[in-house]
Amino acid sequence: MSAPHGAAAPPEAGRQEEPPRRAGRSAVRRLGLSRYTIVIVFAAMVIAFGIDIPSTFLSIGNLSNILGSQAVLFILVMAVLLPTIMGDFVDLSLGSSLGLSAMTLAVVNVQHGTNVILACLAGIGAALVVGLVNVVFVVYFDNDPFIVTLGTMTIVQGVIYIISGNNSVGIVSTNLSDWVFNNDFLSIPLEFYYGLAIFLVVWYVLSFTPVGQKALVIGQSREVARLTGVRVNRQRAWAFILGAGIAGIAGIAYAGTNGTVDPPAGSTLILPAFAAVFLGATQIKPGRINALGALIAVYFLATGTAGLQLLGTQSYYQQIFYGVALVAAVTIPKANRDRIFKKKRSA
Amino acid sequence: MSVGEQASAPPAVELRNISKDFGSNQALDRVDLRIGPGEVVGLVGQNGSGKSTLVKVMSGVHEPEPGGRLFVSGEEVPLPLAPGQASEIGLSFVYQNLALAGGLTVLENLTLGQRITGGARAWSPINWLREHKRAAAVLDRYDVRLDLDQHTGQLAPVDQARLAIVRAAEDLRRYRTRSGHKHSVLVLDEPTVFLPEEDVEHLFDVIRAVVAEGAGVLFISHDLVAVRSITDRVVVLRDGRVVADVAAGGYDEDALVALIVGASARSAASAPAEEARAAAKLAPVISPGPEDATPGGQSVAIEHLVDGRLTGLSFEIGAGEILGMAGLIGSGAEDLPYLLFGARQADRGTLRLGGKALNIGSLSPQRSVRERIALVPADRHVLGLGEQLELWENIVMLVEDEHYRGGVFHRGELVSLAREAIDRFEIRPPQAHAVTATFSGGNQQKALLAKWLIARPRLLLLHEPTQGVDVGARKDIYRFVKSAAALSQMAVLWVTTDFGELAEVCDRVIVLSEGRPVATLTGEGLSDDAITTAALRQIREAR
Repeated sequence: MSAPHGAAAPPEAGRQEEPPRRAGRSAVRRLGLSRYTIVIVFAAMVIAFGIDIPSTFLSIGNLSNILGSQAVLFILVMAVLLPTIMGDFVDLSLGSSLGLSAMTLAVVNVQHGTNVILACLAGIGAALVVGLVNVVFVVYFDNDPFIVTLGTMTIVQGVIYIISGNNSVGIVSTNLSDWVFNNDFLSIPLEFYYGLAIFLVVWYVLSFTPVGQKALVIGQSREVARLTGVRVNRQRAWAFILGAGIAGIAGIAYAGTNGTVDPPAGSTLILPAFAAVFLGATQIKPGRINALGALIAVYFLATGTAGLQLLGTQSYYQQIFYGVALVAAVTIPKANRDRIFKKKRSA
Repeated sequence: MSVGEQASAPPAVELRNISKDFGSNQALDRVDLRIGPGEVVGLVGQNGSGKSTLVKVMSGVHEPEPGGRLFVSGEEVPLPLAPGQASEIGLSFVYQNLALAGGLTVLENLTLGQRITGGARAWSPINWLREHKRAAAVLDRYDVRLDLDQHTGQLAPVDQARLAIVRAAEDLRRYRTRSGHKHSVLVLDEPTVFLPEEDVEHLFDVIRAVVAEGAGVLFISHDLVAVRSITDRVVVLRDGRVVADVAAGGYDEDALVALIVGASARSAASAPAEEARAAAKLAPVISPGPEDATPGGQSVAIEHLVDGRLTGLSFEIGAGEILGMAGLIGSGAEDLPYLLFGARQADRGTLRLGGKALNIGSLSPQRSVRERIALVPADRHVLGLGEQLELWENIVMLVEDEHYRGGVFHRGELVSLAREAIDRFEIRPPQAHAVTATFSGGNQQKALLAKWLIARPRLLLLHEPTQGVDVGARKDIYRFVKSAAALSQMAVLWVTTDFGELAEVCDRVIVLSEGRPVATLTGEGLSDDAITTAALRQIREAR
């Protein structure tokens, strides 16, 4: 007697006439402003820094610095976005994929004297291999992505030390640096535009195609997606592979920006990238991981850090700023927090 | 134990005058129930007769109407019980799902309860060697032989059931020692459904051991053979009332079936005029699109479906027909929608749909969606709807691809399509952009139905489509499915354990037992009682 008609109905009957929960009572919520809190704080921050240190903060040089210096992180954020949006909450190995791509490029180019374009392709190829390995162990063998990518991250980091001989590797070709960092358009380094292009593609696919809508459903409930005829595993696999490929591109941007590649390159970037993705999930479409929110989050964090540096604080305050912003952004709008983290993991 | 002996000692548990109203529906009506020490009482009745509600009153889930009283060993305990209070007055429950942690060992499952409720003891270190010895002694006491270090999930179903009962009995024994009371009652809710016949007897041995220690047992089951062989007394519920309270030996199974079914009136069929109105309203949303080659609809045939309990099941559903599949839990009926959709892989079988023969064994949800087979699953929260999606996103999920043309995703078209469906399926409140989880169960179910019906299915599979749905929405759902079936000539398979519902909406009902069709009911012969009778009879004959 699992479903006696009398007994099952009543808990619902009481809810019958109840309207959907109101978004909230505060003025901020009633106006729907909570989805733009960071935009608002961002604007306030720009004005405050602009009044306080107009000559440095409001300069073209600073704008160029902010937009250019964060391009690598921004490209990595787009990589992180893809598996995360489909409910594979953490691909930790993406930072290592970035590092592997950069190091492969450097080693192939410097030590083997290969053409820089081929070296770049080798770097991206190496990152794609990491993505494929993740697909095999996470999607095909159905393991927890956190654990598997923790493993692949560590392995890849080891590989980076092996191929580099635990040394920083400088890049011979200045072409790469020119095309990534030194040349600019409207005073902003070219790498910013590469990031922007990747963002536009990711944003379009996620927001304006059925594939993006399906990704959202997969992220919400894998079982619902499966029983609606969505090829869940195929789409998850593509997310891991494309994410790794984009991380590979981020690695090239990293090599071009810095000129030399250190073995631990990517590992310091991955956590800020996650911070930006989750911070972005509180914006624009609250409760949903979205590309536009992530874009805003990255440059919000970058602007805050740059302003603090111009005021004379040490660069490591950046980390505290990141952490505080992330915790505050998910906590203040409680309704949003519930929608991100109370998602059903049914599979 | 004879009736005379019971009268002398106060009953272990006595319920008096328990009523429970759910809105207009009276689930329990002045029910009296008493369970003596060392007595096994059977509780039987149709689905929806109030058995579950009564158990939930005893466990503190439901609050009975004022006037209901509970006596434990002659002393009154005020109702309603607080959560967890049941165990403090010597009541212990074993539900059909057994509530065992499959990944833990037998030993851990046995000791788990004491650790969680242990208060200060929860912090004291665990001496596993001593626990091991103790648990071995406990199993010995009930003459159950199990490997204490085996994972519970790997045990045979009957051993899992025995373990759950031993654990509950042990809780009761500890209660008696701790409190000094002699009474205690074990409630077993459908413990035999998933067990093969030869294992039921093993389960009974454990129950007898529990009774020998002085506990009373309330045994709830559809299995009348089991009820008659293990119980001393049988209480029959019908429509929330006790209609019989008799010594188990005094009635044979046929007499019990007659008591269970009684002569309850069949619910009136909904007015045809109302259905015609609904059909007219739904037409624009669900009528076949222009690409449909065969407007006449198609019949569906299932041939030799083999999986688990189903051993070569074959049946047909006519175009526009609503076929009900009835069966008690464990009959195999509840698997059918999932197997025919490919949500779970069947061993083999053929599904004929519109001149095409599909292999059921290799069916996948993607394939089914392409073939326009629709599944409305029972667990809509997990399987049916993305709860955090906006309502419109759930409704149009299946037709998104049709609205992506030339690189442009026509979201506006989808939203207005959803709005139209919200209007026609009478989803309240009509807010396309509200988060799905904020809607009531009935409205969510309508949305789920809308999601599938706008994809114009040829075969609609429904499993418990009105579970947790209020009465009003339930009638709406009947109306929508009936008119959609008539309108687009789609075949419908309706599976539920609510037999009254089947009698009300279906054109024809097949009764399954142990995976085999045992009766087909149509027309005048199709009623709630006829289905129940067929289902109960068959379980008896199978034994």
